[in-house]
Amino acid sequence: MNFEAIIGLEIHVEMKTKSKMFSAAPNSFSRTPNSEVALLDMAYPGTMPVVNKQAVINAIRVANALHMTIDHELRFDRKNYFYSDLPKGFQITQQFRPIGSNGYLEIKTREGGTKRVEIERIHMEEDTCKQLHLLDYTLLDYNRAGVPLVEIVSRPDIRNGTEAMRYVEAIRNIVVYSLTSDGKMEEGSLRCDVNVSLRPYGQKAFGTKVEIKNINSLKNIEAALDYEILRQNSLLLSGQKVQQETRRFDEATGRTVLMRVKTDAVDYKYFPEPNIVPIRLSDEFVQNAIDTCPELYDAKKAKYLAKGLSETDAEIILSDLAMATYFEKGLSLVKNPKGLANFVIVEVNGYLNKNGISINEFGLSAENLAKIANLQEEGFTHKQCADIFNHCLANNVTPEEAQKALNIQKQVVDEGAVLEAVTAVLDANPQSIADFKNGKDRAKGFLVGQVMKASKGKLNPAAVAKVLEEELKKR
Amino acid sequence: MSYLDLSISELHEALVAKKVTPLELAQEALARAKADNNNAFELILEDEALAFASTLTEPEADNPFWGIPFVAKDNFSTKGIETTASSNVLKGYVPLFDAAVIERLKAKKAVLIAKATMDELAMGGTGTTGHKGITYNPWDPKHTRLCGGSSCGSAVSVAANIVPFSLGSDTGDSVRKPASLNGLVGMKPTWGRISRYGLFPFAPSLDHVAYFTRSVKDSALALNLLAGRDERDATSSLRPVEAYESSLEEGVKGKKFAVIKEIIDSTSDKEVLAKFNASLEALKKEGAEVEIVSFGERLLESIYATYFVISCAEATSNDANLDGIKFGPYYGGKSYQEVMMNARTKGFSKLIKRRFVIGSFSLMAENQDELFRRAQRARSLIVSRTNEILADFDYIYVPAAPSVAREFGATSDKLSNEYLIADNHLALGNFAGLPSITVPLFLENGLPVGVNLMGRAFEEKSLFQGARAIEKITGLENLSAVNKKEGTL
Repeated sequence: MNFEAIIGLEIHVEMKTKSKMFSAAPNSFSRTPNSEVALLDMAYPGTMPVVNKQAVINAIRVANALHMTIDHELRFDRKNYFYSDLPKGFQITQQFRPIGSNGYLEIKTREGGTKRVEIERIHMEEDTCKQLHLLDYTLLDYNRAGVPLVEIVSRPDIRNGTEAMRYVEAIRNIVVYSLTSDGKMEEGSLRCDVNVSLRPYGQKAFGTKVEIKNINSLKNIEAALDYEILRQNSLLLSGQKVQQETRRFDEATGRTVLMRVKTDAVDYKYFPEPNIVPIRLSDEFVQNAIDTCPELYDAKKAKYLAKGLSETDAEIILSDLAMATYFEKGLSLVKNPKGLANFVIVEVNGYLNKNGISINEFGLSAENLAKIANLQEEGFTHKQCADIFNHCLANNVTPEEAQKALNIQKQVVDEGAVLEAVTAVLDANPQSIADFKNGKDRAKGFLVGQVMKASKGKLNPAAVAKVLEEELKKR
Repeated sequence: MSYLDLSISELHEALVAKKVTPLELAQEALARAKADNNNAFELILEDEALAFASTLTEPEADNPFWGIPFVAKDNFSTKGIETTASSNVLKGYVPLFDAAVIERLKAKKAVLIAKATMDELAMGGTGTTGHKGITYNPWDPKHTRLCGGSSCGSAVSVAANIVPFSLGSDTGDSVRKPASLNGLVGMKPTWGRISRYGLFPFAPSLDHVAYFTRSVKDSALALNLLAGRDERDATSSLRPVEAYESSLEEGVKGKKFAVIKEIIDSTSDKEVLAKFNASLEALKKEGAEVEIVSFGERLLESIYATYFVISCAEATSNDANLDGIKFGPYYGGKSYQEVMMNARTKGFSKLIKRRFVIGSFSLMAENQDELFRRAQRARSLIVSRTNEILADFDYIYVPAAPSVAREFGATSDKLSNEYLIADNHLALGNFAGLPSITVPLFLENGLPVGVNLMGRAFEEKSLFQGARAIEKITGLENLSAVNKKEGTL
């Protein structure tokens, strides 16, 4: 490749506050259209905006997580344009004084190193109506009108699709773990617009920028950019020009598709919002917002690693906030965090997938799962514990009740007892020993089975296997 | 003599003494409203008013507004009652909610009699641009003179003794100027003192809820009721409300009045000047200190242009919601653009479109520094100078207008200081958001002229005290077009 890709991202995050950015309408993402609408959201004359305090707190938390300078004076501006999804004919945003500026985020590069992506600004604004375009008319849903948004604008520091994907993933982790947003790209609560241009290596001036809008998953960010970079690259190599345009990503073909060619930029005629006087944020208020921020992804990950979890296991658990919350409820109750993690990742996830439910609908409490995990630490086999796990879920009983019902008893690990049983079985099965010596590995399994059978399953199979191996060598 | 010719406090006594009932008052006010021939009303609320008034049977001795009929300018949102701001763009719009001030008045059992005409969307100062046409000055039965605006119908309602109190709004001088031309007390308190929730915005940084009465005491009583924090208007002040009438009679001994030299110099009407000077002498006799102060001619000349740029810029944004999609007349169209263009083309008069073009032009990226931001800088210089003067003086005291109400068709030189300064200085109070009150000064050939008193932010109590002293000097308390009387100056 002869060209360097320059990528910048604008991310809109819908905040899950109780009410909207400037009105008292509930913000619970109702599925019934136009059921969560205040007078202001429909721009009735005489209605006035009142700033949502929780939205400000959320924005401060995100800004802090992104190492930004936080403006202690809150100001809002109007962005004026006419559009059918914009009830007031203007959007209240923070054009001139964003709440956060000049931050950064560290991401892993494709090559495995780390890289700092600078973030220009984060500001609060309000969402527009949702439109449903039908054949000859359009339906408007005002539920979304006025939903609080934070917009996070990166500097053009990203160079390829993988970095872009990891950047968005890191932002998503911050907004999800700070309880600012659901951060669901597929549902539109985290929306991503990407700008990409190419320039020859060594050139300072930027090339013509193409915008890709509304990419709906992390994977598609990578795919869309990788495709778009190749597209622009071949255009340039064949002597053609890149047009300034807006494209979208077509998931089916894996290509970006032209939406519209950009003409002159719209003049939004920004000016300060006269109905919101500048609000002074005290140092205490800002600090309190930061101090009370729920533990973020990175902190949790570090905590899990310190407790002995592998990076992969930590990431699997942290891929879902509800899962991590569930895991942490059990964490303080278990002897071995790794064992608990294993149950969460294998048994719990398996059960959820099989039954098509979410962790919030899961029937076993974290406390009870911790008890089961502890049983394994006490010497019960994983198989026994899994049986208890399944019995609990199937019959809605406690681990103690399940253990009793299944008559599960601790297996013997005492080497003397194991040796005694192993010796007896070996003595009785000289043919199997011979088979083993002749390279038939299956014979070992048979012998373990014989020992277990003779002991009625009371011996620990791992201990049996270990002793058997040693004894076989001696024969 | 009708009860409606009385002041609010006199009426209150009569109501408490059960000499008259709210229903009788409402009936009489409605009859007068219906007989009005000055085009004061968008809508007369006969059924609603009678129904409400008939529920008021037990007088509330400590509530001066109990049973008092009033009128509201048609830019106050009234639940279930069509509210158009005298614009076709809002024809048929029936709000779902009451403005904060309407709520307060209703809660105090004042009776809304009618919605008053106004200059379209409050953009105008003549009372001639509403969709129902010209509103006439009740002092001139021949209908040859301007009423002034934009709160024209509200001014008529009080000046014609239809009601003793009416709500208006004041963005440049829309209550205080018509007060001068109609012989009324017109009050605009500090920005943030009264909630604007439910007032249709024209230019929010300049908009104020304001109102007319026929006496300073009534004006103070009204502020007691209207002032106070409203969570729905984030710009409304948290400062406690005072008993605004409590120092009315304390006089002006030791109070310092600043008279702006340039405003006097640009007023040519000799009689206005003579009477104004007479009032100064009388104030001095009362123990007030009066000083002629220069404000700065350039600054004063800039008021009108500054006002026009800022107000048009804000208006073009505020009225962008009037697009035919959510409320107001819908004329159809093949695309959303066509729907909006149809609604706005048919809905707004030419004058409004002109203001939008000016406002939009001022906000364009390439013009903003030269127009909108320059106007903001000018505003800030003017405000600084105003506050500088008020640091040394209790009041700024000047004629509210250079003359009596003009005849229709009379032209004025729009570049003269008489126009730029003497006729437009009241916007000073809007730029700085300072409390400002107009009271009648005298009658010139049977037509009123007012003076204006402006005080420091949130010092309304002191402002009423000063205004009351002037009212005593002029002898024009309870003046109206029905109750014409010669003053004592």
